[in-house]
Parts: sequence; C-alpha cells; structure tokens
Amino acid sequence: MQDIKTYMTPCSVGEAVKAMAAGGVTAFCGGTDLSPQVESGARQYTATLMNIRRIEGMGGIAEQGDSIRIGALTTVTEIRRDPLIAKVAPILAEAAEHFASDQIRNAASVGGNICNASPAGDMINPLLVLDAEVELARWQDGAVATRRVAMADFFLAPRKTVKRDDELLTAIVFKRPAADFVGYFRKSGPRPALEISTVSVGIGGRMSNGVFRDVRVAMGSVAPTPLRARNVEAALEGKPLNADTIRAAVAATSADAKPIDDVRASAWYREHLVKVFTEEVLNHVLGN
Amino acid sequence: MEQKVTAASIEKKSLIGQRVKKPDAPDKATGKTRYINDMVLPQMLIGKVLFAGRPHAKIVSMDISAAERLPGVYAVLTGKDAAGLKFGFVRDNVPLKEKVLCEHDEVAAVAAETEEIALNALSLIKVEYEDLPGVFSPEVGREASAPQLRDNFPDNKSLRFEFKHGDLAAAEAASDFIADDVFRPHHVTHCCMGTSCAIADFDNNGKLTIWTQTQYPYNYKMDLAPALGITPGDIRVMQPPVGGAFGSKLDVYPYEPIAALLARKTGRPVKVIYSREDEFRASPTRQAAIIHMRTGCKRDGTLTFRTADVLLDNGAYTSWGPTIPVIMMRTTSGHYRVPVVDFKAQAIYTNNPYAGSFRGYGNVQTTYATAQQMDILADKLDMDPLAFHLKNAQKSGEITPQKSFLRECVLAECLETAAQATDYSRKRAAYAAERDKPGRYKKGIGLASSIHNAGGAKIHKSDGIGTILKVDDYARVTVITGASEIGQGIDAVINLIVSEELGVPLEHVTIVNNDSDIAPWDVGVHASRTTFIAGNGTRQAARKAKAQILKAAEKMLGEPADTLELRGGSVVRDRCGTPLIKLDRLLRQMHFQAVPELVMVTDYYEPNSEPEGADHISDHSAAYSHAVHIAEITVDTLTGEIKVDKITSAQDVGRVINRMGLEAQTEGGIAIGLGYALSENMQLEQGILRNPSFRDYKLVTAPEMPELEMHFIESNCAEGPYGAKGVSELPTIVIAPAIANALFNATGVRIFNPPLSPEKVARAIYEKQQSGK
Repeated sequence: MQDIKTYMTPCSVGEAVKAMAAGGVTAFCGGTDLSPQVESGARQYTATLMNIRRIEGMGGIAEQGDSIRIGALTTVTEIRRDPLIAKVAPILAEAAEHFASDQIRNAASVGGNICNASPAGDMINPLLVLDAEVELARWQDGAVATRRVAMADFFLAPRKTVKRDDELLTAIVFKRPAADFVGYFRKSGPRPALEISTVSVGIGGRMSNGVFRDVRVAMGSVAPTPLRARNVEAALEGKPLNADTIRAAVAATSADAKPIDDVRASAWYREHLVKVFTEEVLNHVLGN
Repeated sequence: MEQKVTAASIEKKSLIGQRVKKPDAPDKATGKTRYINDMVLPQMLIGKVLFAGRPHAKIVSMDISAAERLPGVYAVLTGKDAAGLKFGFVRDNVPLKEKVLCEHDEVAAVAAETEEIALNALSLIKVEYEDLPGVFSPEVGREASAPQLRDNFPDNKSLRFEFKHGDLAAAEAASDFIADDVFRPHHVTHCCMGTSCAIADFDNNGKLTIWTQTQYPYNYKMDLAPALGITPGDIRVMQPPVGGAFGSKLDVYPYEPIAALLARKTGRPVKVIYSREDEFRASPTRQAAIIHMRTGCKRDGTLTFRTADVLLDNGAYTSWGPTIPVIMMRTTSGHYRVPVVDFKAQAIYTNNPYAGSFRGYGNVQTTYATAQQMDILADKLDMDPLAFHLKNAQKSGEITPQKSFLRECVLAECLETAAQATDYSRKRAAYAAERDKPGRYKKGIGLASSIHNAGGAKIHKSDGIGTILKVDDYARVTVITGASEIGQGIDAVINLIVSEELGVPLEHVTIVNNDSDIAPWDVGVHASRTTFIAGNGTRQAARKAKAQILKAAEKMLGEPADTLELRGGSVVRDRCGTPLIKLDRLLRQMHFQAVPELVMVTDYYEPNSEPEGADHISDHSAAYSHAVHIAEITVDTLTGEIKVDKITSAQDVGRVINRMGLEAQTEGGIAIGLGYALSENMQLEQGILRNPSFRDYKLVTAPEMPELEMHFIESNCAEGPYGAKGVSELPTIVIAPAIANALFNATGVRIFNPPLSPEKVARAIYEKQQSGK
C-alpha cells in the first residue's frame, strides 16, 4: 500500500495545477469512486493527496453567452436541483435523478464521474447528447493553460482518457440547446436505487415539423467507453420520426453497441436492452 | 398490617398483542450501541486471515519468515499449527488448511499491532500452490470420473437422507395428472450488516473468553472446543450486540478458532474482523440444490403422491447447509395432504463455498418447488388454485406422514383470508386472459403457501431453556435467560411477558443474556423457536415469582393469595382492582422481615415435542404453522423487470404477542425472501465468487419494498405462550414461489432457477415469443 506523504487543499486552480506539474498527485473530490477503488486494491493513492473541493471558481452552474458552464466540482445533487439545468437541459437532471443514491449524489462531483471514465458513468451519457466539451487546465510556462476537448473524443478505454496526469478537469461546457431540442435518457438495472447501469441510452436532437435533426445518441455500458452511436444517429438524421425510422434506428444499434458478458449482464441482454431503450426513448420523443 | 390505599382502582390491562418497542431501539437508532465490531480491549491485537483465492490446490511450499520479521507482527500461524484440530458437523474442517478445497480456505493468519501491519504481513507470506482440477457442481461431482476431493468419500458423497411412505407405484398408477420439474435454487448469503468478528483472550489458567456473534452460545462451546483442543468447560462465550445473524452464526466458522489460536500464541486478546469482501467470500451461504420433484393428483384435484430427488451442493466442508433435508423431507409433503411420499437427498462435496443455516432452513428451497407444482397442477386440472389448495389443505388433528401432529391448523383460513383480501381468483383468471394479448406491461398474481415448525425443533435430546428471574427491593426485575438476542426481538417479548405477569412497567425489566458463565442453557436462536420456548420459560419463571410474592402478600395483608393480583406496580384485589400495597414496598418488607425472603426463581422449560432420532421422523416441534403469501406484480416484458406491487400475507401466528415485533419480523422476512426471489445471487465461476460486494450483489433496499398487507391468524396454540407460535421463518419461505407463480400468471413463463432477474425473465419471454408459443 502506497503511503500518502502529503495532503493538500489548494484554493485556486493555479495552486492545484502547479502542484500537479510536479507529479505524484491524486486529485480527490467526492471520493465515491476513488475510495472504493483504493479500498479494493484496484488503484493506489500517489504520494500527494489533493483535496480539490475548496478550489474557488470550480463549482456552480452558469450561463456564459450562448453556453452553459458547469464547474467540475458541482455535485450530482446540485445538477439534479438546478433550475437552469431543469430549464435548458432536463436530460441532465433526469440522469442525475437516476444516479446512485442520495448519499452518493451529495458527495459525487460531475467532474469526478467523467474522469473516472467508466463506460457506465451516468453523467457522461447526457453530456454526450448535449455535445459537451471538457475544460482541462495545466501549469505551463509559469501560468495556467487550458484546452478544451469534446466529450466524444475524451474517452480512450475503461478508466483511460486523453487527460494528462498533470491536467485538472475544471469545467464542462455545452451550447445552450435550441428551443426545439428534445432529449431523453433511460437506464436499466434490477433496482431503482444504488444501481450501476446495465446499459444506458440517451437521445437528443431538434424536432421540427416531425423531422429530427442534429441528432446525438449516446450509449453507456455497451463498449469499453461511453460512446456516441454514429450509426443510430445516421439512421435518424434529417428523417421524419415515424415507425419506419424508429425501426431503422433500432436495427442500427447493433452496429454501434458491442457489449460484453460480465458480472452485471450478458452481451445478449445488453444488446436487447439497447434496442428496447432506443425504441422507448424515440417513441417518447415522438409522443412529445 | 399497614395499608395505604390512596390510588383509585387499577384496571386489568393486558399487553398481549399490543405494540411494544424493542428496548435497544433508541441506542441502535442513535448510534450509541457498541457492537462487537466496535469493541477494543486493552493490549488487543488485530488478526487477519490469508485466503487461498483458488478453489482446489496443493500447498507446495509456504514461506512466512518475512511476515514474522515485520515489526509489529506477534504471530503468524499456518496449517501446521492447526493440524488435527478438526471441527464442524462431521469434523471435516480445520481452522487453518494444509490443502486448499475452496476459494476462501484459510491458509495462514497473522496477529499484529494494527490492521495495516497485519495486512502488510499477509502480503509478505509467499505460498506456492499446485492447482488441481476442481468439482463445481454436484451433478459432475458424483460421477466416477470426477476428481475425488476427500479420501474417505467415494464419488464425493457426503450426507444422505431418505424418507419413504406409502405405495408409490400404486399412487402413480392412480394419478390422472403428474407435474414433473427440476428446480435449481441458487447460492445466496446472509449479508449481515455487521461483518463476522470474534475477539479471543486466554487467561493464564488456560480458560478462553471469546466475544463472538454466535446465536447458540451453549452448543457453540462444544463445537469450538475441538478446534482448539480444549474442553468446552474452559470456554466462556460473551455475546455483545451483533449486526445480524439470520442463521449464519449457528455454527463455528474458522475465523473464531483462528482468533483463539492467535490469542493463545501471543498471550494477548486478538480480534479477527472481516472486511465486506471477506464476508462475501468466507461467510456461509444458503444451500444450493437441484430438486427433481414430481407431484400427482386425481382429476378431482386430490393429491396422490410426491417424490423429491434432491442433490445438494455440499461445498468443500460440511456445516449445517447439507443437513437441510431434515426439514426438506418434512416440508416436501407435510404441507398438504400427500398420502404417498418418496424423498431422497444426497449432498456432494464440491470446491464451492459451503452452506450454513439460513432463515427458512431448506424450506425456502423446498417451497420454491412445492408451491409452483401446486400452481402447475391446478392449471393442468383447469382448477382455481385456491380451490385446489383448499381441497388438499390439512386440518387440525391431522398427523403428517413425517409424524408432525398438526394440533391447531388454520391453513384453510390463511388461504381464504389472503385470497379474499386480494380478490385472487378473479384477478388470476383475468390476468391469464390478458397474457397473450399485445402490451408491454403485464400484471400477474401468484399464491404460495408453506408449513414450518413453530414450536422449536427437537434436533437435540432437549429443546428447552433455563431461566433465572429475580425481583429486587425496588421491584426491578432481572431475567437471566439462555435466549440470545440477535435482532429478532426476544428482548421486547421477555419485557412484555414479565410486565404482563408481574404488573411492572416494561422499562423496569432488565435482561442478562450475553455471558455463558451467567445465563443458563438454551439450544439457541433457530427454528423460529425463541418466542415460543423463551416466552414459555419467562412466563413460567414470572408466575413462580408471582406466586411467591402473592403468598407473602397473603401473610402480610391477611387476604387470600388467590384473590390478589399484581397490577400497575401494586398488589391489588383481583376482582375490583383496589390497590393494597406497592410492590416495591412489599418486596422490601419481605426482605427485611425476621426470616428474610428474596424473590429469586429458576425455571427450566422443555416443550412437549419428540426428539428426532436417527431417521429425523418424529413430532419434533411443539407447534406447526402455515403461511400464505399472495404476490401481485407488474412485469415489463421487454426489460424483464418485475415490480412487486403488493404482498398480502396470512400467517398462523398462534397469538400476537408483540404486534410491532411481529410486523417487523414479517417485513424483514419478506425483504430477505424478495432478495432471494428477484436479485440476490452469488455468481460463482469455477468456485470463485465474482461479485463479492454490495455493488454487484443486489440486496433489496427500502425503495424496492412493496406495499405489504399482513393478516395475522390466531389459532391459539395450547402449548404456546398465551397461544403464540414461532413466526420468523415463514415470511422468507413463501415469497419466491408466490412471485414465480405471479410471473407465470402474467407472462406464461416459469423460471426454475431463481433469482427471477430481469435478464432471465426478459430472455425467457423473448425465447417464448420466438418459438411462437
């Protein structure tokens, strides 16, 4: 077991990323994924444990021009209760509603859920549907440098992302969805509380005159990373949403979802659920 | 004689059937209770166990030298230190192993200053294994070609049980319909919130004190002693508050002698406590089985015979799990009037985890089969299952082929009550008619019933209990009883009975039941027996005390004892309730008179049941009880999710003693039963548990609990305390088949291998649709 040598609680992004530049830092916020992973031996703390919870400017949800910016430290409970999110991106509030338990929602941060890079991460799915980007900060040439990466390009493998070890995910930003945007999220699991998705499906797009455009489809737990289902998107893009289109979209899921058998479900069941949920969510879009 | 009569008359108010709080509830709810897991003794070391992590292997070599050298380590023990210390139901287990027979085999143990040092020491132990081919199912294990796991058990055959009654060939010939199915009940585990824990300490006279979670402290001594090579008399068992047991603490498990061996080696107290992952891997399971059951009936619905051929997955060692046929062979046919019975059960050693006893003890598995076959046969007969059940339901005075004497039997009343409350017959027909029509969500209703012993189970020569009761100078009552409290609520029942008999407030009763050097003998908490047995023992002891007190009152007050009563903390005239003297005052007068008299009584209660004997066939319980559950569900035919909308239960409880405790026991039993039915499953792959965490082992939690409607049917058991029967196990037993029957009603799909997980249900429905049936 690695001993933690230093515990630090930076107050600013600069202070945090400067320390991260020196290496050997484990960033800790809610700890709802990290603690059990360390406890089970799946990963280890490094020499410096950094509590990022008190960094100024890394929390809160705000409108910036035509974008919505969610600080990485924002808890799932805050997302669930936020009036702006409820108004402009209810799909995110809906996913927060079905996220783990009250205790975990109160502690878990949206940034942590993304960095944990689980194919089952429940905040990731709706953010993919919203075409969100993450903001990554690092210490470079004596100052804080930031870059943005699209969520769709962020994940490489289970627990692996394009984020460098010296980078801190500071915020999630997405364009304010258009007035005719509709989006829904559905996840499964044998019980309502404390569930880790067997599969999740999120679908969003602009519906006008019965035609579905700018369609984005996200799937969780059907591949090594959360993914955008490009084949399903193609089956829907620019089409009138009707029974035939829905049938084609459902058929296209097999081209996107490549699930495996594991302790939670078989590949057969995951493929089956992806079809059921895709149809269900599209019927929901159609019905509204 | 001095008499102060100032108060108004005290009315007779009975507490029987009232709602009484568990006395430990405030401390438990506020976090004040110090569970065994919280206990720290001066100089205490922490013990940790090295598990093999492989199902079947030779230990080629083991190097403990680095672990021994680690600062803060006080002892490292291996199989060599436990050689010959055989324990267990058939003495086939040792605390530390020299050969690996299952994943959680304990191969070494460490005692160290801290948990961290102990864990570091474990990581320094180098073990070289030679893996061996394993046996992972009883069907494979019994084949001659299977690896032989033990020298003295050809074909890996462990325990065997048989029971035959009547002419099977004739009964088969006389049957118009036969249900013939194979059921495969699965491995689940108890999931006590308090993980396994023991603290052991030897004094310099060689006497062991062990703080442990046991639910059978007296026979526990007998079972623990051989694992340490000491005599039972040298063991003192302490029982601090525990976080659940449910049958899992009805045996000795290796961590307990390991704690003691480490304590003996180090001369210091040693605490062994399991992590949640250890708990999943190393605590006992509910027995997995393969049940081939056949049930016959005539065209008019009269049952003709039942056969059960049961294959049990013994696991690597024999604890109480493979003994469940003792109950299975009763409940296979003790339930409805089945004139001809042929039961056989064979346990097969495998390299899987091994089973212990678990609430429902075999009857959960049996009833999963019997209650579904009743449903299957009713459909074959085209008969309303309610009518079919009622036609065969036993009545008071009947004796089952297994010699269970059903003195007070209200099965028919339970059936009718539950069916009427749910409009069962109409709904079942209506839902069946909807089954094959379009629609994603389908409703179903299912009925299941069972029988269980409800007045103890005389598996030993005695099924009794000792009680010591004293009333002090302040009219405070102490009950020193063998009855263990493991959360089931005997504390509230004892308080209630003492209060009922002696007229003292509930909070003036103290129970001492946590030290085997003080409390007298009891068999233990099992077989739904404690309210029945300890309730009778407490009542008898309280009545002896009352007789002594009233006799003294007669002398002092000059009024005949049989006209006096104890009520509201006073001696009163029974007819009018006029208080004559405060009880505490009377007790002091008894104490400080010329010939002093203290109220201290002893009692031994033995139920009027028969010991089981070698064939396990006897009237082994002083009472039997029935329960009927009706489950109403909604099935999502696409995702396979079953939402349990409502459970209606009707159970013969004899008589309600503590209504609140009874409700809680029923709710808890149903929660365990729901988990068994719907979501709990130890996923074993080649003997390795793949889901040793609450993340992937799904308990039923509060949000999933359905609406419950409980009907307590009072049959007034002549032998029971105030008429009560034992209640704990039946709610767990009947729930899974009720849901399985409801699933069939809703979808036409029947699942023979629980749990009825969404995936299994979705797949079965999908396959049914594909096959066009």
